[in-house]
Amino acid sequence: MPRIRLAFRQDGPARFLGHLDVMRTFERACRRAGLRPAYTQGFNPHPKMGFAAPLPVGMNGAREYVDLELESEAPAADVAAALARQLPAGLTVLGARPVEAGGSPLMGQLGRAHYRVTGRAANGEKWDDERLRAAVERFLGRAEVFVTRRTGKGTKKKDIRPGIRSLRARTDGETLILTMELAAGGGGTVRPDEVLRALREEAGLDLVGAEVWRTALLSGDGRLLWEC
Amino acid sequence: MLEIEHLLPKVEKPARYVGGEYNAVVKDWDRAAVKVAFAFPDVYEVGMSHLGLQILYHVVNSREDALMERVFAPWTDMEGLMREEGIPLFSLESRRPVRDFDILAFTLQYELSFSNVLNMLDLGGIPLRAADRREGMPLVIAGGPCAFNPEPLADFLDAVFLGEAEDGFGELIEVCRQARAAGVDRQGLLRALAQVPGVYVPSFYRVAYDSAGRVREITPADESAPERVVKRVVDDLDRVPYPTRPLVPSTAVVHDRAVLEVFRGCSRGCRFCQAGMIYRPVRERDPERLLEQADEILRHTGYGELSLASLSTTDYSAIRPLVEKLVERYAGERVGLALPSTRVDAFAVDLARLIQKVRKSSLTFAPEAGTQRLRNVINKQVTEEDLLATARAAFEAGWLRIKLYFMLGLPTETLEDVEGINLLARRVLAVGDETGVPKGRLSITTSVSTFVPKAHTPFQWEPFLYLGEVRERQAYLKRRLKGRGLVFHWHDPEASFLEAVFSRGDRRLGAALERAWQLGARLDGWREHFRPDLWRQAFADVGLAPEDYAYRRYAYEDILPWGHLDAGVGKRFLALEHKRALAGETTADCRAGRCTGCGLCPALEVEPRLPQRVAIDAAH
Repeated sequence: MPRIRLAFRQDGPARFLGHLDVMRTFERACRRAGLRPAYTQGFNPHPKMGFAAPLPVGMNGAREYVDLELESEAPAADVAAALARQLPAGLTVLGARPVEAGGSPLMGQLGRAHYRVTGRAANGEKWDDERLRAAVERFLGRAEVFVTRRTGKGTKKKDIRPGIRSLRARTDGETLILTMELAAGGGGTVRPDEVLRALREEAGLDLVGAEVWRTALLSGDGRLLWEC
Repeated sequence: MLEIEHLLPKVEKPARYVGGEYNAVVKDWDRAAVKVAFAFPDVYEVGMSHLGLQILYHVVNSREDALMERVFAPWTDMEGLMREEGIPLFSLESRRPVRDFDILAFTLQYELSFSNVLNMLDLGGIPLRAADRREGMPLVIAGGPCAFNPEPLADFLDAVFLGEAEDGFGELIEVCRQARAAGVDRQGLLRALAQVPGVYVPSFYRVAYDSAGRVREITPADESAPERVVKRVVDDLDRVPYPTRPLVPSTAVVHDRAVLEVFRGCSRGCRFCQAGMIYRPVRERDPERLLEQADEILRHTGYGELSLASLSTTDYSAIRPLVEKLVERYAGERVGLALPSTRVDAFAVDLARLIQKVRKSSLTFAPEAGTQRLRNVINKQVTEEDLLATARAAFEAGWLRIKLYFMLGLPTETLEDVEGINLLARRVLAVGDETGVPKGRLSITTSVSTFVPKAHTPFQWEPFLYLGEVRERQAYLKRRLKGRGLVFHWHDPEASFLEAVFSRGDRRLGAALERAWQLGARLDGWREHFRPDLWRQAFADVGLAPEDYAYRRYAYEDILPWGHLDAGVGKRFLALEHKRALAGETTADCRAGRCTGCGLCPALEVEPRLPQRVAIDAAH
C-alpha cells in the first residue's frame, strides 16, 4: 500500500484536540476528500496512520507529521490539495511526499524535538537577558534535575537533565522567550512543561500565560523527520 | 472576540469552547439582520448530539437575513473561571457574549436541564426573569419536548414555541425583523410573536390558584394571546430543509455519526410516552430522498457510521429495501449502519443481521414491563413469545449480549410485575443457554428506569410512585437479578422524582427552581453534580412541597397547568386511553389504517404520510 507523508500545522482551535480527536479528524477529512485510507484488519478496523508523536492538548505544532497509508496510488501533491480543503480550522497542510515502501515508521525515528515557549514573568518580576542567561546557565550546570511524574500507579521522581539537550532564554520587551531541544520518542521524552516546572522550582523563573509551540521533530541523529 | 485563550489550558476539555468544527457557519455579523444563539442547556458533547440543533442551524443559516451560532452550558471548571474573570457566556462561532444576540433560543430536552437554563442566563448577564429584561436585551425563547409544559420556566422565558420549528423559526425571525424596523418596543414584539401560530407568551396569561395552591384557572391577560396555543407541525418532511452538511465535531461527542431521519412521529400509542403523543402524526420521508441525503451527508462529513433515527425506526414502511440499498451501497466504503430503536421481533433481528455482518455488539429491546397484564396497561404490544423468539433469533444469528429496558413504578404495578422483570430476564438467559451461546460470554443486561408521568400523555393524571417504594422495588430486583450472565442497572430514583415534580409542575415552581440555582444546583443530569439535598432545601425555602407535585393524582375535571397548550391530541382521547389502560385494554396503531380517534389530524389539518406502502417480505 502506498504511503504519503504529510506535514501539517496544528494551532488555533485545533490545538485543543486530543490525539484521538486528531486521528478521527484526519480519517474523516480523508473520507470527505475521496481518499481511501487503508484499514487495519480485525473487529475494530481503523485507518493506518502513523503520527510522529501525539501533540499534547493545548500545544501548537508548527510542523507535525503523519504517514497516511492509502488503498491506491495518488500523487502526493493531489493528496495534499484534497486534504487541505477538508480539514477543520487550525489544521493546515504544509506539504506531502511519498514514503518509499519499507521505510520505518515516524514514531520509531523520533529522537528529539524543538520547542518555543513564550510568556510573561509571574507577578511582574523583572528579568533581563543577563539575569536570564545566568539562571539558565546555573540550571543547566546541575548534574540532575528531578521532577515528579504521574504514572498509572502514583507518582515517581524522574531525572530530566539528560533529556534537556539545549535551553536558551531571552527577552523581547515584557515577553520571555525560551527555546529548547528535548529528548522525544521511544528513548524517553521530556515535556516542555516539565522543564518550566523545574525552572520555577530550581531557578525561580515562573512563566505565566505561556504559549507553547513544538517547532521541529527530529530523528535521534538530528535530521528532520521529513527527510527520514 | 472575547479573550478566553488563557483559561483554556486550565479546563478539562477545552475543545468544548473553541468551535472551529468542519461545516461550522461563521457569517458576517453586520450583514445579518437577526442574530440567533441556539442555546443547549447541557454540555457540548450532549448538545452536539442533538439532531434538532443541526436542523435549526441549517434552517436559520440558510437565510440571508439571519445567522445562528451555538452556545452550550459550561462545565463547572469553566464556569468557575468565567465567573472569576467576569467573562460572559459566549457563542462558539464568533465568541461574542450571548447578550449581543437578538434571540437566545433554548431547547428543552429534559427537565433536569432547567437549572442550566437559569445558570446560562445568569452567566450571559441577562436578567433571569422575563419581567426584568429591558429594551435591547435578547428575546429568550424555548422549544423542544419540555416546551409542552414550560410552566415551571414561565417566569424566565419571553416566549415558547410549541412543536416543529422548520417553518415557524423563519416566521419568528420575520416578526423580529419587522418589529425592529417599525421601532416597536419589547412588549409590542411579544404581542406580534403571540400572533404566530405555535407561539406561547407566558406573561400574557393569568394563572389563578385555589386555597390549596392548585391551579384553578388559566386565562389570557392580553388581547393578543389566544385561548389555546396549538403546536406547529410540518405536513410534509420532504418539503422542508434537512441538514446534509451537519456540523462535524472534532472532539468526541455522545452521538458521533451521520443521522438520517427516516420519519417523524410514532403511532404505536405507548401510554407513558410523551414523544409518541407530541410528535404525531407519523410522517415518513421518501426513500429515494433519503438515499440522496445519505449520500450527501456522508460526502460532506466523512462519517463512518450512519444512523437511521426515528422513534421506532423499524416501523418505516420501506425499511428493508432502504437498509438493503444502504448496505449494498456503502459496505465497500466502510460505512456502518445503526438502527438505534428497534422493535421486539424477528424482523428487527433480521435487519440487525443485515447491518452487522462482522461485529455483533449487543442488541437492545424494550419490553418496558415484566408481565403481559402490565404491558397491556401501557399499550406496549409485545408478548413474551415475541421477546423469546426474538432473543432466540438474535442468539442464533451470533449475538452474545442482549439488553432489556424496563420501567419501574408504572400505574397499577404490583410486586408480581416486578418479579416478572426478573423472570423475563432469566427466560431470555435460558434461551441463550439453549441456543448454545458460550456460558462465559452470554450476558443479559436489565436496565430499569423509573416511570415519570408526562404532560399530554394518557398517564398525565397519574402520580409518580413513592420514592421509598421505588427503592424497595429496585432493591428487590438487585437481590433477584444476580448470577451468571445477569447484569442489573438502575437509575437514581431521586433524579426521577425531581423530573416528576417538574414534568407536571406549574408556575409556582419557578421560585423553587431559582432558589435551587442560587444554592448551586446545576448540571442536575450529571450524577457527580446532582444534589438532591440542595433541591430539598430550595423547596423548603420557598414553602413548596415537591411531593405535592410528584405524588399528585389529577382528576379528569382538574385544570392542568399545561391545559391551555395543545399538542393536538384531544384531552378526551387521553382520558379514554387512560381508562382503557386501567381496564387492561389495548389500542391499535393507526398505521394499520384504522383511525383511533386521537383527534390530531382533524385538529391540525394534517394526516399521516406513508407514501411508500411497499411490500416487505412475507416474514414481516
